[in-house]
Amino acid sequence: MTTNTTSERFTVPIGPQHPALKEPGAFRFNVDGEIVTSATVRLGYAHRGIEKLAENQNWVQNIYLFERTCGICSHTHATTYCLGVEKLAGVEVSPRVSAIRTLVAELERIHSHLLWLGVSAHEAGFDTLFMFGWRDRETVMDLLEMISGNRVNYSVNILGGVKVDVTPEIVEQILAGVDLLEERTKHYLDVVSTDAGFLQRTRGVGVMTREQAEALGAVGPTARASGVARDLRVDAPYLSYSDFPVQMILDDRGDLEARFVVRLRELFESYRLLRELVTHMPEGELATRMPRRIKAGETVSRLEAPRGDVFYFIQSNGSDKPARVHVRTPTVCNMTSVVKLALGHQLADVPLILAGIDPCFSCNDR
Amino acid sequence: MNTVTTIAALLLFPSGLILLLSGLAFEWADRKLLAQYQNRLGPRWFQPLADVVKLLAKEEVVPEGVNRTLFIALPIAGLAGALTAALYTPLFGLQPAYSFRGDLIVTLYLLSLLTLCMGLAGSNTLDRFSLVGATRTLTQLFSYEAPFMLALLGPAVAAGSWQISEIADYSSAGRYLLLTQPLGFLVAIVGLMGKLELPPFDAPEAETEIVAGARTEYSGRGLALFRLGKGVELVVGLTLVAAFYMGGVANPLLWLVKTLILLLVMVALQALFTRLRIDQTVGLWWRYGALLVLVQWLIMVLVGLL
Repeated sequence: MTTNTTSERFTVPIGPQHPALKEPGAFRFNVDGEIVTSATVRLGYAHRGIEKLAENQNWVQNIYLFERTCGICSHTHATTYCLGVEKLAGVEVSPRVSAIRTLVAELERIHSHLLWLGVSAHEAGFDTLFMFGWRDRETVMDLLEMISGNRVNYSVNILGGVKVDVTPEIVEQILAGVDLLEERTKHYLDVVSTDAGFLQRTRGVGVMTREQAEALGAVGPTARASGVARDLRVDAPYLSYSDFPVQMILDDRGDLEARFVVRLRELFESYRLLRELVTHMPEGELATRMPRRIKAGETVSRLEAPRGDVFYFIQSNGSDKPARVHVRTPTVCNMTSVVKLALGHQLADVPLILAGIDPCFSCNDR
Repeated sequence: MNTVTTIAALLLFPSGLILLLSGLAFEWADRKLLAQYQNRLGPRWFQPLADVVKLLAKEEVVPEGVNRTLFIALPIAGLAGALTAALYTPLFGLQPAYSFRGDLIVTLYLLSLLTLCMGLAGSNTLDRFSLVGATRTLTQLFSYEAPFMLALLGPAVAAGSWQISEIADYSSAGRYLLLTQPLGFLVAIVGLMGKLELPPFDAPEAETEIVAGARTEYSGRGLALFRLGKGVELVVGLTLVAAFYMGGVANPLLWLVKTLILLLVMVALQALFTRLRIDQTVGLWWRYGALLVLVQWLIMVLVGLL
């Protein structure tokens, strides 16, 4: 992905180990003074061979494996896998199972977006927003812990159902938590769209036009901030999203400010959806019987993770183990945009442009 | 007898050991207050001291491709500059240890020595982060230096002397120059933040971009000396601004109260703003900082004429 070469190159390496990167990834930025003239990226430092490993474990064991693909959107990965396997086996789950999966998925989206808000603010050098954002994120972490018993890998899914139920006490806590978070999110939206100092670093920086976003194949909030209407929850509703529709949040400015605004406004949609879900929770069995061996066939399963489109290809040869599982995560789709957008910007903007796509190197490398 | 007091003044009080310790104490206050503003706990009171002791005990790695003498000498020169500057300032509310006509200019240059040493230390290595950091450090030096100096010369002109002790005495006589020269005060306090590379002027050491900037290759003693130098500069800078603009620091209690109030304001500014890019820093200083301080001077001249 090298774009050009100059006779006198001064290369600033960011990664594989660098304070701006919480995970390993190697970027080489050639700079002229402070201006980035070319950029390359090398990935694969966190490759764990998950896809190969999946072929040696049975269908049930793989839930736990795929849940660990990503530390942030763990539920998304497990759900995508379970949905695919259930489709292959021809098993229908009850509406309640879908609703609980949706509930956890939306809580996870809130936790992911608030985490991103903090990380990005830190990259921009606004540590106060970082600290406050992460303090409030604890609310949703507590809710997730209350529902599932875990803060990170919730382990809510089983094949054909879920392990946990949502009791009236939990509903009460979720409603209280959502009220608090909604109020705080309003404040953060106000900060990122009016704070002059912060806007100096985000407004008009790293602009990705709609055409560029489509050409580079951007997904998720990164694409929606450039005006590309692409959200699987709306385009191809899964789980309970057809009964509880969400509104797609779009912004056509395409700069870093738009990405902040889109992600924060998506939170309001999540809060609204959570309130509807817990008050209109459908009834049904929590688990459906699943066969140990899945009949031969192949399928594709897609979900809208907090970062964008997660894609699973699952192939079965009729045994108790998958023949092939392929995973593609949103970071792969968005990574090219970083290398493209960094050109012509100052070195100081690069960490923020990188953070703007909400990169997740370990799920990218699998 | 005179020699003994001179040596004591240099090594123990007011310069030397006590100053180093108070630098660490102010660094702790800065970090603790910032943490409180950000709803964190913040470090324990002895943390800066513990950091320095730990660094002093560690191996100092001299990287390949550097001028060894310079690499070792620059932190020492920087700290020495900051400590020497302290001799001419009314630290702890006492009279300066040394004083002569025009010592204000000398002190300001001695304070810049640390920044200069840091810039040179960064340029001395082959490390890319250090080089970018050094460029930014020196760029920042050239942007805030002139407005900051003009802001500190405002009180000097009002007092009719370029001798720090005389300016301090002038404002100790109940003259709160921050009321008569508010623009100068603003530029002075923000300039001090720029000098100390505190947020939002921390582009030269922005960890998410260039790790630790010019000091990236420093470890052990060199890093400890640079940090001590920063601490000393914080105390000296706060003392100067408090003595000039906030009605003087006639006794130790007044000194402590006024410098802490000043620190509180500075920490609030640190918590409020996003880090500026280096071009934004330069733009801010030359477009607004220099302009504000010139307006202040213009007002002073006009008032003087009337």
